[in-house]
Amino acid sequence: MNNSVLIIGGGIAGIQAAIDSANMGFQVCLVEKSPSIGGRMAQLDKTFPTNDCAMCILAPKMIEAGQHANIKLLTYSEVLSVEGEVGKFKAKIKKKARSVDEEKCTGCGICIEKCPWKADSEFDAGMGKRKAIYVPFPQAIPNVPVIDREHCAYFLKGKCRACERFCEAGAINYDQEDEIIEVEAKAIILATGFDLYDPTPLREYGYGRIQNVITAMEYERLSSASGPTAGELKRPSDGKIVSDIAFIQCVGSRDVRSNRYCSSVCCMYGTKEAILAYEHRPGTKSTIFYIDLRAVGKRFQEYIQRAEDEYNITYIRGRPGNIELNRRNQNPTIWYEDTTTGETKSLEVELAILCQALIPPRDIQKTASILSIELDEYGFVKTPDGLSHPVDTTRAGILACGCVHSPKDIPDSVVQASAAAARAAEILSGGT
Amino acid sequence: MTLEDIIKETKTYYCLECGKCSSLCPISRHNPSYSPRLMLEKALTGFEGDLINDQELFSCLTCYNCSLKCPADVDYPLFMQKVRTLAFAQGRYGVPADSGILQSFMRLMLNPAIEQRRLEWLSDEYRISEKGNILFFVGCAPYFEFAFEDFEAGALNIAKDSLKILNTLGIEPMVLADEKCCGHDLLWTGDVESFRKLAEHNARIIKESGAKKIIFSCPEGYRTFKFDYPHYVDLDCELQHITEFLAENMGKGMLDFKEVKKKVTYQDPCRLGRHLGVYEQPRKLIEAIPGIELIEMEHTRDESICCGTSAWTNCDAYSKQIRTERLLEAKATGAEMLITACPKCQIHFRCAMVSKGEEKGPDVEMDVMDIVNLVASALEDNGSE
Amino acid sequence: MSDVRIGIFVCHCGKNIGGVINVPEVTEYAKTLPDVVYAEHNLYTCSAEGISSIRQKISEHKLNRVVVASCTPRTHETLFRNACEAAGLNKYLFEFVNIRDQCSWVHMQEPEKATEKARDLIRMGVAKARLLEPLEEVEIRVTPSCLVIGGGVAGMSAALNLANQGFEVYLVERDKELGGLLLNLNRLFTINGKAEEVIIPLIERVKNHQKIKVHTSTEVKGVAGFIGNFDVTLDQKGEERKIKVGTIIVATGAEVLKPVGQYGYGDKSNILTQLELEERLNKGMGDEQNIVMINCVGARIPERPYCGRICCMVAIKNAVLIKENDPRAKVWVLHRDLMTYGTEFEKYYQKAMEKGIRFIRYSLDKPPEIVGNNKVKAVKVYHQLMGKEMVLPCDMLVLTTPLIPHEDNQDISRMLRVSLSEHGFFLEAHLKLQPVEFATDGIYICGCARWPTDVPEAISQACAASAKAVIPMRRGYVRPEAITASVNEDKCSGCGTCVLLCPYNAIELQSKDGKKLAHITTAQCKGCGTCGAACPSGAISMNHFRDEEILAQVEALVI
Repeated sequence: MNNSVLIIGGGIAGIQAAIDSANMGFQVCLVEKSPSIGGRMAQLDKTFPTNDCAMCILAPKMIEAGQHANIKLLTYSEVLSVEGEVGKFKAKIKKKARSVDEEKCTGCGICIEKCPWKADSEFDAGMGKRKAIYVPFPQAIPNVPVIDREHCAYFLKGKCRACERFCEAGAINYDQEDEIIEVEAKAIILATGFDLYDPTPLREYGYGRIQNVITAMEYERLSSASGPTAGELKRPSDGKIVSDIAFIQCVGSRDVRSNRYCSSVCCMYGTKEAILAYEHRPGTKSTIFYIDLRAVGKRFQEYIQRAEDEYNITYIRGRPGNIELNRRNQNPTIWYEDTTTGETKSLEVELAILCQALIPPRDIQKTASILSIELDEYGFVKTPDGLSHPVDTTRAGILACGCVHSPKDIPDSVVQASAAAARAAEILSGGT
Repeated sequence: MTLEDIIKETKTYYCLECGKCSSLCPISRHNPSYSPRLMLEKALTGFEGDLINDQELFSCLTCYNCSLKCPADVDYPLFMQKVRTLAFAQGRYGVPADSGILQSFMRLMLNPAIEQRRLEWLSDEYRISEKGNILFFVGCAPYFEFAFEDFEAGALNIAKDSLKILNTLGIEPMVLADEKCCGHDLLWTGDVESFRKLAEHNARIIKESGAKKIIFSCPEGYRTFKFDYPHYVDLDCELQHITEFLAENMGKGMLDFKEVKKKVTYQDPCRLGRHLGVYEQPRKLIEAIPGIELIEMEHTRDESICCGTSAWTNCDAYSKQIRTERLLEAKATGAEMLITACPKCQIHFRCAMVSKGEEKGPDVEMDVMDIVNLVASALEDNGSE
Repeated sequence: MSDVRIGIFVCHCGKNIGGVINVPEVTEYAKTLPDVVYAEHNLYTCSAEGISSIRQKISEHKLNRVVVASCTPRTHETLFRNACEAAGLNKYLFEFVNIRDQCSWVHMQEPEKATEKARDLIRMGVAKARLLEPLEEVEIRVTPSCLVIGGGVAGMSAALNLANQGFEVYLVERDKELGGLLLNLNRLFTINGKAEEVIIPLIERVKNHQKIKVHTSTEVKGVAGFIGNFDVTLDQKGEERKIKVGTIIVATGAEVLKPVGQYGYGDKSNILTQLELEERLNKGMGDEQNIVMINCVGARIPERPYCGRICCMVAIKNAVLIKENDPRAKVWVLHRDLMTYGTEFEKYYQKAMEKGIRFIRYSLDKPPEIVGNNKVKAVKVYHQLMGKEMVLPCDMLVLTTPLIPHEDNQDISRMLRVSLSEHGFFLEAHLKLQPVEFATDGIYICGCARWPTDVPEAISQACAASAKAVIPMRRGYVRPEAITASVNEDKCSGCGTCVLLCPYNAIELQSKDGKKLAHITTAQCKGCGTCGAACPSGAISMNHFRDEEILAQVEALVI
C-alpha cells in the first residue's frame, strides 16, 4: 500500500483531515484502533452551542470518509512502528483480527442478535451492555461487527458458534489472524484525541461509591436517544427519572492533585447537558458549580445566558468539597461554599454529574515513542515553538491536530484538522 | 516573617478562590463566620489587620481536611500557624480552654528553675533503661491527668500501657525525667519563641541520652518532632508512632492477644492520619486482636472528622457540635466502643459527653478508649512475664 | 398505469423520529400513495446499511423516484442523492421529506398529531416526486489562484500555505505595511517572545515568495463572478486593477475597542488600553508602582454580550511583563472570570500568581470606580468574593477591551455576498463543522475577522481556510447544483424586477431581437427562488421547484 498521508485516529479531527486531504487529491490511509471511526463525538448526544445532534452532523462525514475513493480505512488497527523521514515514512500497521470477513459481511446484524454473551459497552461508557460480537453503535463505519475474543464463549470455552450458525453470508471466521500491513506515507497526521479522566481517585466526590454520582460521558449516553435508556434520564440507583440535578466543573482539571490545566470544554458541555436535561423533562432544575465560567467561543456567552433565562439552570461559583450519600433516598448531597456570599451549605440532588477532565490518550507515551515526537509536561503533543506552528510536532513531516495537542472544542479541532491537511499538502508539494 | 513571606511559603498565591476548603471545613459547616477561603482572601488583598484581629483566627482545627483536597496546593494549616505567629506578636492568642491552665503549664516549663516530678507515676511494674537506643517520649499525659480528672481523661494510662506493651515486646525504653512539653500547642497558637526554647531543651536532652529512635503515643508530639523541630533544632533520630512500631513488630510472635468480643470503630486523629499519613497500622493492630470487629464510620481515613478542638484554644459551641456529631456517627456504626490513637481525641470526646449546659448537644454515650489501652488490655496476662 | 415508480424510506433516526412518530404505521400508509411501489423503514437510513438498501431497492424494484423521510436536507440530502446516483438514478429524482426537524422535534409532546403530520408531509413529498425531472449539472473551471484579503498574521499564513502548494496568491492589505495587529504588539503569550521576531520574518517570507503578489495600500473595490471565476477590482490609491481568481480568503482581522468615556478614558492622563500599554512596555515603563487593570471593559455587557476570548491573557501577559520589569510593582487585575482556557494559558495564569500579581473578581452590578480628578489616584472595587469594598492606590489604570469587528465588514460582506453574525464578525457556514467556510462557495474566512483568536489559533484557521480553498483549485473544476432558475423568453417582459432582486448578481437584461430579456448566469445562480417568486409575468421557473411541483404538493395537503 502506498499512501501519501497517513492519519492516525478516526475521530472528528482525523476524519476531517482525511476528507480534506482526500479532496485535495491525495491518497489517505486512516487508521483507527477501535472497530469504527467516529471517536468521542459519536458518543455525544448533542453539541454546544447550536444543540446540533452530534451523530446527525457527524454521520455524513463518517460516510464520506468511508466511501471516499481516496481514503483507505483501517479500523480495529494500530500503528506498530514508523520508520524513515518526511517524504518517505514507512509504517507497520497491525490490523487486528475481527473474526468477521469484511468482504463477505452484509451488516445485517443477525449475528449480534443471536449472540448470547454480553459485555459492558465501551461506546455507552459502561452504562449499557453490548454483545460479544458487536458493532459499537448503529451508524458504525464500517458496519462490520467484531468478535471481542475476551468475552466470546467460543474463544473462552470452545463452545457456542451461534454467530457462525446464523450468518447466511458465511462471514464469521474464528481463525482470522492479526495482519501486518505496511503503509508508505509522505506525511503523517496524528489525531488520536483524548481520554477522559476517571474521577475515582477524587474520593471526596464518591464516584464509584455513590451510585447516583456519574461522569459527564456517562450522562451523555443516558441522555442520548441511542443510549442504554433510549434517552430517558434514569438514574443508576433506582431508574428514577431525574428532575433535580447538579454538575460539578473542574473534576480532574485545574487541580494540582490530578491535572493542573483547564480542559477548555467542560463549562460548555456541562451547560449543554443541563439544557438537555430540561429539554428531556421541562422544568428540570440544574445547578452548575464552577470556578471561572469559561465561555469564550462564538455564541457561548449567549448560550450561558439562555441557560439561565430559559432552562432553569443556576450557576454557583464554588468548587464543592465533597459529596455525601443520603442513604434514605440514595440522593447525593453536595457540600459547597457559595463564594459570592461566603456561605457554606449543602444541596441535595437526585443525580450529580462530574464534568471530568480531558486527558491525553492513555497510550500517548507509546505513540510518542513510535513517532519519535515530544510531549509536553501534561502528556499532550508539543508544538515546536509554542506559537507559529500550531499543528506541527517536534518532528518534521509529522503533524498533529485536535485534542491530542491540547483540550479543545469541536470547531477548534475541525480547524486544526483542516490546517494539518493544509500543512501536509504543503509538505507533499515540496514545501516545508 | 511578613505576610507576603507567608503567602509565598504556603503557596497561598495559587489560591483559586474556589471555596473547596470552606466547604470541607468542619468549622465552616457549623460556624457561618468562619471560612478558610476568606482568611486567605484577606491575606491576598493585604487586609493584614483584619486577618490578625479576626476572632476566628484561632478557630481553625489545623485538621488538614482542606489542604489535603486543595486543588491549588495551598498549605492552609501552615498558613494558620504562621499568621498566628504574627497575631501572637501583637498580643493575640485566641480563647484558651480551661482558663488557660494548660498553656500555663507549658510556659511554666520554660523556666529552667522549675523542677518537674514527671515520672512519679512510674512504678516498679514497668521496666525502663538508663541508656539505650530507644526512647519513649511520654508527652503531657501526666499533666492532662490532673487537668481533666473530673472526667477520667485516662491519659496517664496511655503512658503506662505503652510501657507495658513495649516491655512485653522485650523492650525497655528510656524515659526522660526532664522531658518537657513538645511545644505543639504553643507553636500552633503563635508563640514561636516559647516553642523554640522547648524544642531546644528536648533536642538537647535527647541527644545527651544517645537515643537513636523515639516512640510516641501522642501523634502531636510525633508530628511536631517530625515536621516542626527540623526548622528549629538539629535532631537526627528515627521517629515512630507506637502503632507503627507495633504493627511492624506484631508478627514476631511476642504479642499474644486473648479474645476480646467487641465491635469497635476507629477515629483517625488528624495528626496521625492526614498530617502523617498513618492510616493502616492502627487498623492492622486492632484487627489483630481476636474477636474484635472493626466497623468504619461514614467519614474515615483521610476523610475523617476532627474531634473538634486543637491546641486547647477556641473550644466553643461549634467544637462541641462537631464532636457530638462525630460521636453520633461512631454510634451509628453499631460499635460499642470508639478507639482513637491520640490522648486529646479521647479527652475531647469524653468532655463532650459530660459537659452540661446550653452548649451541650444531643445525649450520646459511648465508650472511648485509646488504642494503646485496648492493645494492653488484650495482652495475655502471662504473655511475656 | 403511470411509469413512475416511487420508493420510500422512512427513518427512525434512533429515537429522534421513532420516539415520537409511529414510523411503521407511516410506512404502511406511504405504501398506499399513488405510484409508490415500495416502502420500508430504517433505524438510521443514513447508516451504511440504509444507504446500501436504497441502492439495492432501486434496482430490485426498478424505482425511478426515491423519497427519504428523515432528518433534514441540510445535512443529509447529498448523501441520499449520492446513493441514488450510485444506483444509476439521476440524483434530482430524489425528494427529501423532513419529518424530524420540522415534525418530531417540534411536536415532541403530541406524538399522534406528529404522526398525522408526517403522513401529510410524505403525501406531499410523493406528490412532488411524481413530477420530478432529471437535471444535469454544469462543470465550471476553477482558476488556480486565490485572493487573500488582509495582510496580518492570518492572511500571510494563508498566503504562504497556498503559495507553497504552487498556487498564485494576491495578498491585499489596505495599510502601507503588511503585519496587521501584531505590528503594534510588544510580546506574545505564552512564550513571551517579541512580536516583531514573529511578524518580521513572516513578512519577509511573504514578500520574497514568487507566487505571492503583495498589494499594500490597496483595497478590494469590487468582486463579481462566482467560485472558480471571481473578477476582482483592486484599488491602490485610486488606481484600479482587475484580477481574476478562483477563490477568496477573508482575513481582515479586527480592531481593539477604544473605551472612550469609560472609567475616564480619554480624560485622565494615566489611563491606557492594553494596546497602549504594549507600546509603553516596548519603549520602557516609567516608575509606576501601582498598576490596576480592569478586564471586560466593553465586553460581556448587554450591548456587547460576547467574551473577547483572548483579553484575559493579554492582561495577564502585560501584568507579568510589568512584574518582570519591576518586581516591586503592585499589579492588580480586576476581572469577572479568568478565561485562561487550555493547558498553556492556565499555566501562564499560575505563573502570574507566583509573581505576586493579584486577581480580584468584580461583578457587573458593582463595577469598579475611579478616584481622582485629572489623574486616577485610586480604584475602588467591590471584591465580590470577600463581600468587601477595597480602595487600590493606582498610578496607572489599564483597561482591557475586546477585539471588535471592523466597521467596514459590512461593505466586504455586501461585496462578497457573505453574511455577518449579530456581533458584526463574519458568519461561517456552520459553527461546528464548517468554521472557516462561508455559505457562499469559493470564499473562506480565518482569524479575527471571524472571531477573536490568539496567534496560534489564527495560523491554524489560516491554514484551514487554505485547505478549503485549494480543494477546488487542485481539482480544477466544480460542479454546482442544477437547482437554478430559468427564463421562459416568450413570457419575459424585460421589466428588470428580477435583476434588482437577485442577491447573487446572477441576472442581467440582454437585448435579443430588439427586445430586452432577463438572462441568468447559471453558474452564479444559487437557486434561492427570489426571482421566480417575484416575476410578475410568471416567466421564471425554478428547476426542481417548478410551479406544478409546488402546486401538486399544496393540493396533496389540502385534499
